[in-house]
Formats: sequence, structure tokens, C-alpha cells
Amino acid sequence: MLALRLVRGSRPVVQLRRLLVAAASAGTGFVLLYVLAGATARPAGSFPRLLWALVPLAVTAQFAVAVARTDPATRPREGLDAVGLGPVQRVLVAAVSTAIACTLGSALALAAFLHLRGELTGLPFDGAGAGLLHADRPVPVAAALTLLALVPLSACAATALALRPHPPLAPQTALPWGIALTACGLAVEAYAGPGGAGMPVGWALTAVGLSLAGPGIAYACGALVQAVRPGAMRLLAGRTLQEEAPRLGRPLGVLCAVGAGALTAVALRGRGGFGVPLGPLTGPACALVVLCAAATLLTRAVEVRQDRSATHAALRDLGAPGAVLRTAATLRATALVAVCGPVVWGVAQLTSLALTR
Amino acid sequence: MVAPPDNAPPDNDVLWARSVHYSHSGSPGLIGVSVGVRQGEVLALTGPRGSGKTTLLRCLSGHLVPEQGEIWFNSVPVHTMGALARERLRRDRFGWIGPDPQLLPELKVWENAALPLLISGASHRSAKAAACEWLDRLDIGAFARKRPGALTRAESQRVALARALVKEPAVVFADEPTAPLHRAERALLLRTLTTAARSHGITVLLATHEEEGAAVADRRVELLDGRPAAAAVSGATAVNGAGGPSDETPEGQAACSLSA
Repeated sequence: MLALRLVRGSRPVVQLRRLLVAAASAGTGFVLLYVLAGATARPAGSFPRLLWALVPLAVTAQFAVAVARTDPATRPREGLDAVGLGPVQRVLVAAVSTAIACTLGSALALAAFLHLRGELTGLPFDGAGAGLLHADRPVPVAAALTLLALVPLSACAATALALRPHPPLAPQTALPWGIALTACGLAVEAYAGPGGAGMPVGWALTAVGLSLAGPGIAYACGALVQAVRPGAMRLLAGRTLQEEAPRLGRPLGVLCAVGAGALTAVALRGRGGFGVPLGPLTGPACALVVLCAAATLLTRAVEVRQDRSATHAALRDLGAPGAVLRTAATLRATALVAVCGPVVWGVAQLTSLALTR
Repeated sequence: MVAPPDNAPPDNDVLWARSVHYSHSGSPGLIGVSVGVRQGEVLALTGPRGSGKTTLLRCLSGHLVPEQGEIWFNSVPVHTMGALARERLRRDRFGWIGPDPQLLPELKVWENAALPLLISGASHRSAKAAACEWLDRLDIGAFARKRPGALTRAESQRVALARALVKEPAVVFADEPTAPLHRAERALLLRTLTTAARSHGITVLLATHEEEGAAVADRRVELLDGRPAAAAVSGATAVNGAGGPSDETPEGQAACSLSA
């Protein structure tokens, strides 16, 4: 109940972030239900489709965790500490509020699914997707509910795991692993060629590798920015990036992986097809994944900004002009784009070469 | 030529406030405080917690704009300045050291100390030289290449002191800089601050406790409940004194009527 009260009383921006989580959860839930409907109609080949649906599930959970981290109800606060709500209790509050948002999304997805199949009547677009969603075949209720529960449960578990008190890792440690996994993924894709089972495996390896390498890439960006006799701006921009690399790096790596996937798809279409038939929801699902990955990175940036408010206040006490701080933030963003852009482009080029040779 | 008003400050006042009023979202912080700070002196603002020391320092240093009253620095009105001009004034002429060192954890010690110079656009080399010189003067030169996380509180507070002094500002505002320290460290920090300020002709406004202020300051101004203590005390005795009935409601009486 406390979680509900805290949810109800928070500011509009916070509510908006929770609504975005609910929207992402609704999108993922709808994709899962669509895959289920397809599987009841055409059981052959439905397992790979279900596996692909795990990608939106993963990015939705990641986004939910990022939002839970920025949630004022789950951050160390004097008011909550004073009433005895310590770190463990706060993890529970975070998990519950994440579960609430995701369950709302799942319910919306179910309602939209049933409505488009024509099973809920009385609204516009009633049964508009009957053919697409195989309205002629009944969907097993238990399977639908299980799939819908997947989003809240995974987001809830991920939140509880991510917010439990644990020491941070140094950002550079995972960089070699990330590079090695990315290279392995590219090699698998090149070896297996187009159309085989090697493609998803290789792509998954590349994605995991990029997300592991993210913190190291962000740290290296920071080191580059503050190298060689920095002034105040480069010093503030670079060191902050180095300091925040563990937090910004992971979502940055995921966004890189998603971007590389999207670029690969564009390149493959230019070179004559994917080798596998695309479904009608592939485009919307890809858009959902890209938006979730981008929103996660932005939310982590908001969290970093919230955590650095003390530093910000110290700089303002020194009389640091707002322009210096804003330019430092722009410099950080530019450095990240300048380094990650070529990485994403290179990985996409190599992948599309491997898949069309 | 316009004759100066009767309560015009003496010519050697570098910074002065006249009947400054400030309230924190309704609750009164400062109620008509006037104070003048002479060039090169160490002025101690004393008083208990909540008496308005920090608010007065933040008004005088241009962090806050008083709701009524005036703040003048070197015959320039601070209370009418825009936010940008006050920011520039703080950057160029004032130094600040608070109860927390407020060091940036990702910068090395010397970079923290050199930050005011770097922000004003000084070159890397000259900023480093000046910062290291001040760190040496304050006996913490050995830590210059460490991160603030590796320092004790007393050392961090000295780095904050070096950062406040590195530009040799006109006025240093010290808001209870000894609050997190033990007695021996307190005395040392205050002695360091006042010695460095006197030898460089820097004016110091020090918000602190009574005995410490008396030990190092040239002059003391005591605050109580947002007023100069003399006014606050005389008001209280007028109300409570001599046992006679009073028309005014004494402060704090409302709380006493509660039967908890």
C-alpha cells in the first residue's frame, strides 16, 4: 500500500516515466500475444518467432529498471529513512511500483488484443485485426496469461536484482569480453551465412558483446575528452563521463547493439532481402525496441543528473557559469556519438557483409 | 553632489548589508539585519543554529537576493544585479567554503583546487602552478595527485580552503568550515584561514560558534532568531522582564500553551 501511496503522490514527470513503462509493457505484451495467436494457427516455425519476441521483453525490462532507479520513491531519502524504510524495503517498493506499471501495460495489451480480434465490442476498430490475429482460432487462456505475466515478473525481478545493494564494477573490466563476444558473433554469422540458425545466435552474441563493451567505450570516450592539458570544460566533461561510465555504458551498449541491428536490416534490404519472411508486426516491434533502448539511455542520464545535483550545487557555489556546465554536457554527448557512431556502422557493415556473401 | 544619508557606511567598508529581510518560503530567516564588513578584517558571525548566519552569508555573497534591504559590495549594489552578474561577481571576487568540502570526486585534489581558475579560463599550466602553490602553503601539497576520496575530512576541508583562496578573492565567505572537525583540527583550520587571509589582504566573513569566533576574529556580530542579537535580546527582555504584565505576545509562548 505504501508503494501505491508513493506512486499516487509523485510529480507529473515521474508519472509520465511510469506511463512510458506501461506503454512499453503493453507493446511487448501485444507482440507476445500476437506470436501466441500465430502459433495456435500455424504451429510450425513458431519457436524462433517466440525467441525473437524475447528481445522486446529484454529491453522493456531494462527500461523498467532504469525508470525504477530514477523513481523518487526508491532513492535514499531522509523522510523514508526516518520512518525506518531502509535499502531493503526500498527495493521492495521499487519492485512493487514496477510491477504495477507493467501489469497495467499487460492489461492494456490484453484489452487491445481482444478488441482487435473482435471479442470486445462497442468501440471503433472493433475486430479490425481479426485476420491478422487469427480470430477464428481460440487462444489458450493459460498460455496468454502466462505470456502476459512474463513482462511484469521479469521487470519486477530485474528491478529487485538491480537495486539490491552491491558494489559497482570497474567499467574497463568487461571491455575485452565485450570485444571478444562481438568478434565471435561476427565470426558465427560469417560462418553460418544467411538463412541458417547461425544468424540469430551470431546476432545475439554481437548484441551481448556490444552491451558488455558499452561501459568501457564510455570510459574511453571520457579519457579521450580530458586528455592533454584540459581546461575546465574538457576536465568536467571527460571526468564525469569516466565516473559515470558504469551507469551510462550498459544502456549505451544496448542502444549500440539495437542501432547496429537496425542498420544491418537497412543494409540487407538494400542488398536484396533478409532470407527470412518478415511478419506484419516486425516493423512496430523493432520501433518498440529502438524506442525502449533510447528511452533507457535517456532515463539513465536523468538518474546521473539527479545524483550529481550536489556536484552541480558545488560548481554553482564557485560561480561556474551555466554555459560551462551545459557545454560540458553537450561535449559528453558529442564524444559518445562520435565514438559509438563508427562502431555501430562498422558492426552493421560487417554483419551485412557476412549475411550476404 | 548628494549628501550621503546618515547611516551611510564608512568608506573602508568593502561589503555591507542594510536592513536585509529574507524568508524561507514563509518562515522568516532574516529580519532587518544590517552589517558592515571592513576591508581586510576577519568578521565572525556567531549565533546558534537557525539564527540566520548561513542565510546572511548567502545574501551577502549573492547566492540569494534579499526580499527587502540592500547589499553593497565596493559601492556596487548587489541586490539589484541579475543572476548572471551575481554569478560573475561570485566567480571573480568571492570565495566560498562551507561545512562540507563539496569537492568533485572525479577530479584530483589539485584539479579541485584549481577549478575556480580553470573556470575563469586560466591556462592549464598556470592554474596548476597556482593550485599547487596554495596546497603547499596549506600543508597538503603531498596529496595533490590523489582523489578527494582518499583524504580525511580535515584534509578535504583544507583543499576546499585552497580552492576558496586560489584566486585571491576580495572576500572569502566561510560558513561553519569547522563543523565536521574535531577541536585540534578546528583551531588549525581557522588559524590557517585567518593567517592566509591577513597575509594576502583578503576579507573574511566567518559564520561560526562563539568561542571560535572570539579566538580568531577581529570583530564579532551575533545573530539570534534572524536579528542582530542585541535587538533580539532586548526585545525578549522587554517582553519577559520584571515580571510585569505585557501587551505583546512573547515569542515561544504559543508553544508553551500546548499540553502535550
